[in-house]
Amino acid sequence: MPIPALTSPRRRILAGLLGTPAMLAGIGSGPAAAQAGGTLNFVGWSAAVDQVKAQISAFERATNIRVNYENFPWAQYRTALVTRLVGNAPIDVAWISDAWLPEFAEAGWLAEINDVPQLMRYNAEAAEYCTQSMTYRGRQYGLAYYGDHMSFMYNTEILQRAGISAPPTTWEEVVQQSLRIKQQGISDYPLLLSLAADTWLIEFVSALTFAFGGRFTDEQGVSVMADANRGAVRAAQFLRDAIHQHKIVSPGAVETPEINGLRAMGGGAHAFGIVPTYRIRALNDPSQASAAGKIRIALMPKGGPDGTNATCGWIRFYGMTPGAKADRARRERAVRFIEFFGGRDTSGNYSMQRLLLTDVGLPSCAMPLAQDPAVQEFWQRWAGGGAIIAQQAGLAKKKDVISPWFGEWVETANQAWQSVCLGRAEPEAAMRSAGNKWTELRRAFR
Amino acid sequence: MLAALNRRFGYDERSAAILVFPVVAVLLVVAAYPILYSFWVSLHDIVLTRPLRRPFVGFDNYLRIFEDERFWLAVSRTTFYTVVTVAVTTLLAILVALLLNEAFPGQRLLAALLLVPWATPSVVNGLMWKWIYDPTYGLLNALLVQLGLLDRYRAWLGDPDLTLLLIANAAIWKQMPLAALLLIVTMKAIPDDLYRAAKVDGANVLQRFAHVTLPALRPGLMLVLVYETMISIRHFDLFLIMTQGGPGDASFVLSWLIYVETFRSLRFGTGAAMSYVLAMVTFLLSWAVIRWLGKRI
Repeated sequence: MPIPALTSPRRRILAGLLGTPAMLAGIGSGPAAAQAGGTLNFVGWSAAVDQVKAQISAFERATNIRVNYENFPWAQYRTALVTRLVGNAPIDVAWISDAWLPEFAEAGWLAEINDVPQLMRYNAEAAEYCTQSMTYRGRQYGLAYYGDHMSFMYNTEILQRAGISAPPTTWEEVVQQSLRIKQQGISDYPLLLSLAADTWLIEFVSALTFAFGGRFTDEQGVSVMADANRGAVRAAQFLRDAIHQHKIVSPGAVETPEINGLRAMGGGAHAFGIVPTYRIRALNDPSQASAAGKIRIALMPKGGPDGTNATCGWIRFYGMTPGAKADRARRERAVRFIEFFGGRDTSGNYSMQRLLLTDVGLPSCAMPLAQDPAVQEFWQRWAGGGAIIAQQAGLAKKKDVISPWFGEWVETANQAWQSVCLGRAEPEAAMRSAGNKWTELRRAFR
Repeated sequence: MLAALNRRFGYDERSAAILVFPVVAVLLVVAAYPILYSFWVSLHDIVLTRPLRRPFVGFDNYLRIFEDERFWLAVSRTTFYTVVTVAVTTLLAILVALLLNEAFPGQRLLAALLLVPWATPSVVNGLMWKWIYDPTYGLLNALLVQLGLLDRYRAWLGDPDLTLLLIANAAIWKQMPLAALLLIVTMKAIPDDLYRAAKVDGANVLQRFAHVTLPALRPGLMLVLVYETMISIRHFDLFLIMTQGGPGDASFVLSWLIYVETFRSLRFGTGAAMSYVLAMVTFLLSWAVIRWLGKRI
């Protein structure tokens, strides 16, 4: 769906103001670039910047297309991108989170790629879950930047010191082992959960909810999160008990963002933790973590009577703007860029996916890479092998709250989860409050 | 018409108008236009993620705010935070001003050091206090544990009963010096004769403070109260850096609600309406303080 024409003077002024940086970037590219393969504007968040720049250089050399690369911190990225899209800034390709796909697609800010066979052919080599995460109402909107999931990690040394021979397989065992570790004075809070109200919180609580056999919404998108058996109540109850009854999770978890949790796990302060899988490299890197070499991954423990080993997965992808797609030259450049970064490069290799994994630890959606010796060596070196990770990836589930109103709903949901963690709300009441907000927004959207 | 204007206004007035015009023009563009435009936005249901619709809803956004329980929660949090911050800042500022109004060795150095917190950028101030309160490596925990007042590290900002007070403490640390400075300036203007006369009348220190210093401080106090109220009620940076409205809703103040509504939920219509409500509340409070204290000056 093309972006509607800016009809009023106010919109044109807004468009002008918001689009200025990108336009200046475009002007900066100069006539030389225009004479060669043209210019492409790419926006991402400030992650893997060195690797992206290296790949951009390779892309520019291979295609003669000049790339204007802008990046913003993750925390401000959605707002920064939305204001630019509203202002009709000349963005061609942007990194998109799966959580924003419905709202961006409904707003007409993303172009579908179903009619671009050059990109669609990569679905045959992509993990099914990744392709699904880039699809909304039957239309696919990009190729994967990376796909990851929450993993259950444990510190082998702490378990050994506590006389525990195997990592837990259920959350009940997690509690028992944690209490044992705590009683022996090895760790005050053996279980690490980063529960600060930031963008990661929904991933953590989704992983826990799925492991307890629960869900937030049913297949029709109706809220079931407050359902005592099949909702998120059991997971919420577990959190509350872990913090206040068993005292195996620090009360400070509510002010622990993911990055601080990572540091604490890497510092050897915790025996268990739910951590994004890509962090395993940093956790086992002696230059970054004192617990390096001792962190391993186990399958997500099962929780309660309906527990599963499922976890929460997510993907980030390269999306093309409708503005780029509408213009033949821009579309061609954007498609080549997305293929070079999200698919195979001009030499036929998944070079970017490989680089992101081996340099940063970001797992790929491209299945052929699993057979790559360098990738296998990577998993062996940093995680002691990739079998569990591959098994867990197969059990990863997309967040079931991804919707056009997700951005609004998640604010209420975060508060509800934090209230449970603080012991200020009963799990069922908190989930009911989050569920009511969901229903209200869902109705309003219709 | 030009001739009529020339007859009505003298040369000096016309020259002044010409000289002032560029500034007025700039102000109209950078201040008046955004203010009026944001009011126009507040009358529409503008949600950035739904760019194809922006219906005119009149004052519905304003009515919706008052029906929103988050708004009243934010009002109560903001009121508590503002009262604590303004009261403690003013009280401490009076004490510091009284101290620095006396002559003693090192007085000038102390006065200069007093300005350090005020000169610290707000973001740095927020980060500094966040680190001081940190549950794993914070200075406050280390100090209290070493003094034997605490047996283990605490998550200070994770305690919803303390969060607002701890943020208020960070705000007071930064704001108090300026308030003290304003009061010192007022104190310096109090004639010594009044104190001497009070002494002759047998007034002790407290009586001199109550009957001479305090009444004479009213203009300075008015300035401090108005300024501190305006600043505290609109505080945002500390909340963004230290707690992001949490834990739970413990620091969910009005400025944070406006940020969430506007930049996270991307509801610019209600966000603008909330901003107008906050601006009106700030204006009315300031006006009330000026009126209340002004009568007593």
